[in-house]
Amino acid sequence: MLLAVVAIAVFLLVEVLPLFWPDGASFPLEALWSSPDVSGEPEYRWLPHRLDDAAVPQASLAPLLWGTLEAAAWALVVAIPLALGAAAHSSLYMSPGLRARLKPTLELMEAMPSVVLGFIAGLALGPWVERHLAQSLSIVVVLPAAVVLLALGYRWLPDRLKAALTLRWAALWLIPCLLLLVWLAMSVAPMWEGWWFDGDLRLWVEESWGLDVQARNALIVGLAMGFAVIPGIYALAEDALSDVPRELAEGAQAMGATRWQTLTRVMLPVALPGVFSAIMIGAGRAVGETMIVLMASGNSALMTASPLDGLRSLASSIAIELPEAAPGGSHYRLLLLAALALFAFTFLVNTLAEVVRARLKRRFTRRKGDA
Amino acid sequence: MSRLSRCIGALKRTLLAPSRGPRTLSIAVSGEAPAAVSRVAPGAVSRVASRLVSGLVLSAMLVSAKVAAHDVAGSLDAIGSDTMAELMLRWGEQFEEQRPGVRLQLQVAGSASAPPALIAGTTLLGPMSRPMQEDESAAFIERHGYAPTPVVVGKDALVVVVNRHNPLSRLSRAELDAIFSDTLACGASESIERWQQLGLERPGGTIHLYGRNAVSGTHGLFRRRALCDGEFKVSVMVSAGSAAVVAAVGDDPAGIGYAGLNHLNADVKAVAIGNAEGGILPRRQSLRSGGYPLSRDLLIYVNRPPEGELPDVERAFLDMVLSPSGQRVVKELGFVALPPSVLAAQRHALGLAELPRDGP
Repeated sequence: MLLAVVAIAVFLLVEVLPLFWPDGASFPLEALWSSPDVSGEPEYRWLPHRLDDAAVPQASLAPLLWGTLEAAAWALVVAIPLALGAAAHSSLYMSPGLRARLKPTLELMEAMPSVVLGFIAGLALGPWVERHLAQSLSIVVVLPAAVVLLALGYRWLPDRLKAALTLRWAALWLIPCLLLLVWLAMSVAPMWEGWWFDGDLRLWVEESWGLDVQARNALIVGLAMGFAVIPGIYALAEDALSDVPRELAEGAQAMGATRWQTLTRVMLPVALPGVFSAIMIGAGRAVGETMIVLMASGNSALMTASPLDGLRSLASSIAIELPEAAPGGSHYRLLLLAALALFAFTFLVNTLAEVVRARLKRRFTRRKGDA
Repeated sequence: MSRLSRCIGALKRTLLAPSRGPRTLSIAVSGEAPAAVSRVAPGAVSRVASRLVSGLVLSAMLVSAKVAAHDVAGSLDAIGSDTMAELMLRWGEQFEEQRPGVRLQLQVAGSASAPPALIAGTTLLGPMSRPMQEDESAAFIERHGYAPTPVVVGKDALVVVVNRHNPLSRLSRAELDAIFSDTLACGASESIERWQQLGLERPGGTIHLYGRNAVSGTHGLFRRRALCDGEFKVSVMVSAGSAAVVAAVGDDPAGIGYAGLNHLNADVKAVAIGNAEGGILPRRQSLRSGGYPLSRDLLIYVNRPPEGELPDVERAFLDMVLSPSGQRVVKELGFVALPPSVLAAQRHALGLAELPRDGP
């Protein structure tokens, strides 16, 4: 295993080396970050196919790095709350029977080919969101808010209703509630769009904030990739929470702690190393994910903070351009440099996850020994 | 209330019924990527189909399609353009009917793969959707001592497409450049970012640009001809195939893109390109006359020694390609067939017999 990893690293290094040594590349190495435009300002453009015939060679990896990190960040924004919430719920509240059924379903979700996810996101979800911007925004705002309100309001439900709607089975009876909420959110959308945004949210956003809504944008990528990353984070975090010694949770509850207090004060701190490494491994997958970004992002190498613009990641650039780049040329070596950067990044993230996990674990075992 | 709890109980029972095995969900993914490379009949494609094709084109792009090879004596090899893949396949089928037992072995990996194969002698026919570059033909001459023979077999054009609801009908060359590039090499004074700058009320807002990936021949042709060798804006959304560009523009009221002529469908509208006097639509007439600025020849490069003859099979194949039935295939696939005069000239150059004047 280790040998294979080392062999991959050596191969990439050997292929990339001619860019720097002995003769150097056919273009100045500063072009890898930025190149001056007409007025001398630095410009970040990825035009590797014109390295040899353009007046100013431009092969800035900056927009690709930016796109990669932006996509991964949005994926994690989507995935972390959902995956961790699901893990906490299923390890603490859910009935074991239901949990035994749900886990295989989530594994199926993990097994979903990413090209299918990307296809759906890029060709169905993206254009739909672009056309139904108000409805989408309405769902995004209403759903989390309503769920929090539901959770707060649950304790005031009459006891008989509570007996029917137990928390153990919340995963089942919440589904119709959520569908109802989605329907509500969508049907009120045209009303508030008319009241506050002159009936066209898209134009309003553009005129007042200067933000343009593209059909394939960072948010869509984040949504699809979040979906792909959730099962992995969930599985690891769930395992970490289940591994917490039963005595700890039972002890806390015996002392009068509620289940929520048990979770936040006792179980989460103990399981933190596992949860942390679950997130890190999710991040590693999001950074290296290719097909979803390739199909849902539009692949324009932009460097903007707007989540409604497209982006281009390192991995998808490699997938698009490598089959047609002449082996041995500067373009080819640049793409392998991008591959090397990806390799180094995932290597670092995974090592970091492992190191932090080991350290936290040591600390907890030591504390246990002291007690 | 009790009814509700009973209902939930029933739900639990059905979901957790122990007698049933684990529910599985199967996802079927069609594996016919190579067959779907570009079987897109113009105008007749439903939206779903074109989306499917655009997805499959992507997979076909990554795996160079290779047609099953049967080792029959007198097999015919061709290596080259993926734009012309469907065309070559159809000609191959037609040729097989004429000469049973002869099979066309086609490798499509892009126009750039044709010259090396011709130089190395692995094939005598190299379909290309662009003329050979200087260095490519120089390398050929160095190896063989004579120049490769280009045979024009049809015409293709790039069309600028907008959503079918877009009122835009015409763009000047300078406007086109100002929309797609930020170098403004064709003489426009300022970049065009919004539809309002073209004097359109609808579809308001920013223009969404769609195009091809930088290594494709379509991208190169558009950059040279439409952008006057300038450079594209960074904000162009890059798709893996012409069909994907058309599908994206068909879905986006504010979109504009460029694609091969044969990919046009009912969701998008072709925009006339022209100068101050008038616009030219990519119609058969303007393409034949060369008036449409974004047209290109579809070529088959042939390795033919100046005083020798082509082998019998290759010769018969080109004879069929340059015949009315071969040209009908060109038309059927959404490209433009050659006018009779050009056809006759091509046949003459190859030393083929003249076509009967009152042929079909």
